[in-house]
Amino acid sequence: MRRGAWIGIGLVAVMLLVLPPLTGFHPYYLYLVSTALLFGTVATSWNLLAYAGQISFGHAAFFGLGGYGAALASLAGSSPWLAILLGGAVGAVGAAGIGLASARLRGAYLALATLAYAEIWRGVAHNWTAVSGGGAGLIGIPPLPTLAWLPLDFTRGRAGGYYLSLAFLLLVIAVFWGILRSRLGLAFAAVREEEERAGLLGVHPLPWKILAFALSGFFSALAGGLYVHMVRVVEPDLIFSRYFSILPLVMATFGGLHTLLGPAAAALGLYLVSELLLHPYVPAFHQLPYALALIVVVLYLPGGLAGLFPSPRPSPPSPLSSPPVGERAG
Amino acid sequence: MSLNTLAQALVSGALLGCFYTLMALAFSMILGVTRALNLAHGDLIILGGYLGYWLWSGSGLHPLFLVPVAAAALLPLALVWHWLFHRLPEPRELSSLVLTFGLSLLLQNIMLALWRGEYRLIASESLTGSLSLGGLRLNQGRLIVAVAALLVVGGLFVGLTRTRWGRAIRATSLDRDAAALLGINVDEATRTTFILAFGLCGAAGVLFATLHYLYPAGGIELTLLAIVLTIWAGVGRLRSVLAAGILLGVIEALTLAWSGPRWRELVVALMLLGSLLARSGGLARGWSH
Repeated sequence: MRRGAWIGIGLVAVMLLVLPPLTGFHPYYLYLVSTALLFGTVATSWNLLAYAGQISFGHAAFFGLGGYGAALASLAGSSPWLAILLGGAVGAVGAAGIGLASARLRGAYLALATLAYAEIWRGVAHNWTAVSGGGAGLIGIPPLPTLAWLPLDFTRGRAGGYYLSLAFLLLVIAVFWGILRSRLGLAFAAVREEEERAGLLGVHPLPWKILAFALSGFFSALAGGLYVHMVRVVEPDLIFSRYFSILPLVMATFGGLHTLLGPAAAALGLYLVSELLLHPYVPAFHQLPYALALIVVVLYLPGGLAGLFPSPRPSPPSPLSSPPVGERAG
Repeated sequence: MSLNTLAQALVSGALLGCFYTLMALAFSMILGVTRALNLAHGDLIILGGYLGYWLWSGSGLHPLFLVPVAAAALLPLALVWHWLFHRLPEPRELSSLVLTFGLSLLLQNIMLALWRGEYRLIASESLTGSLSLGGLRLNQGRLIVAVAALLVVGGLFVGLTRTRWGRAIRATSLDRDAAALLGINVDEATRTTFILAFGLCGAAGVLFATLHYLYPAGGIELTLLAIVLTIWAGVGRLRSVLAAGILLGVIEALTLAWSGPRWRELVVALMLLGSLLARSGGLARGWSH
């Protein structure tokens, strides 16, 4: 990555760090930006999975599993920090499960399977009343605890959730950055570009695919677990909402598939434009930008916004504009 | 479950299945001709239903008269979809899913803006009441919907098998390149397919609105049902779609009779995942060979 990009990240991170005191710890704005940061986390983990060639239409499943896992652990008396981590593990297992089950599915059919998977968990949450509370969901989830060794303003109320969501976003970006630079990234790219050939060369696709699912599911579920500790309720239609499947896909493709920062930048941009500029004035149409962004990306801008800026390294072809592996061989 | 309940569920499921056939045909036709999956399929049906509801509550006409009106009302959208799908990059299955995921969101937002998310039903008095037939009670509304759906499907069957444009559509669906080589105007056939499919969506929407409450986010379930039916029946086989539709209707009715309405959505999603995993070669396998 170029030095300019690093300076850019640093500036944005510092701005995000000092935003809460600048807004006077305004609860609404903190809630809004932390939701955007959580979407950025899910969009980046969606992108991580897409880097391994798997297009998911069901990240709501992972987000929601994390939410329910964390909520149940918290309600059972665990500390919220541990609960969120447990939720992440639940999401990782759930994601690995669908990755394993749909090992033979490619492209659009994998996407449909993940879409069905999210709907299945929504149905389970609706019906498994004894555990999930059914359609009414679970209430009384405790807030994040304050930290004694930090100034109270920075950890109480919305501020704690804000900083944790910022930390999650930076964490998933750092992990993705590490993957891009490591042999793991090469394996993911091999699975994405030439699955059969990778298999012949000794990179067996299945374990890498499942690992990509588990990682992506883990970070999405962390976001879900934190989200339920921010809103402090969990309902099937809220947490398994299709928006948690659609929006990460929109943000990641609009920001730039396979790019490190595109998804997070697009998440912050699209979500804040939608909520701050459109929601107050034209509430019925505040989700219009997502739909338009998706249409623009598919038809005119296969590289997303990042495709507008030439990168020093040639970027890998988008899975939306190149034939996926396996369909040629079939 | 008593024998009578079982028979009741079978009959009412079969009636519902006729509607499902009509509902799924548009999805299957577009997939056949363009190799594109239309995830906004269910939302288009819900839109047709809302248009039907709006006309019905304004005019008080019999809902069956509104079926062709709603079908015609969706035609402008057919041209929009045709224009968009014409520009899809390869691989078309995946890019169409992504595009129509966005279009589905757009349609839901527009419906939410226009009808404010309230539940609506075409509760026409002519559709309530029930007939008694040898100990079974048939819901009159379901019977009328099933007959209407069968008439439309029958008309489509005759059209696709006996007319020039119908043969052109079927040939394009079987093998687009070969059809073009043989002098068939495949672009014309594609446009006709979109117009027919959107007409079917509008018609299905009005019929759906007499059976079920409409709400803007209700389309996804219909889309999933249409995909399940398409997987079961294969693309471009009208009679198989009818058989699969009736089977699906019966399964749904048995689920309802056995466990109540709460499990309906879950069963639909499970059937989709199961069918995808069982046919992991993809939907295309049915028609590309």
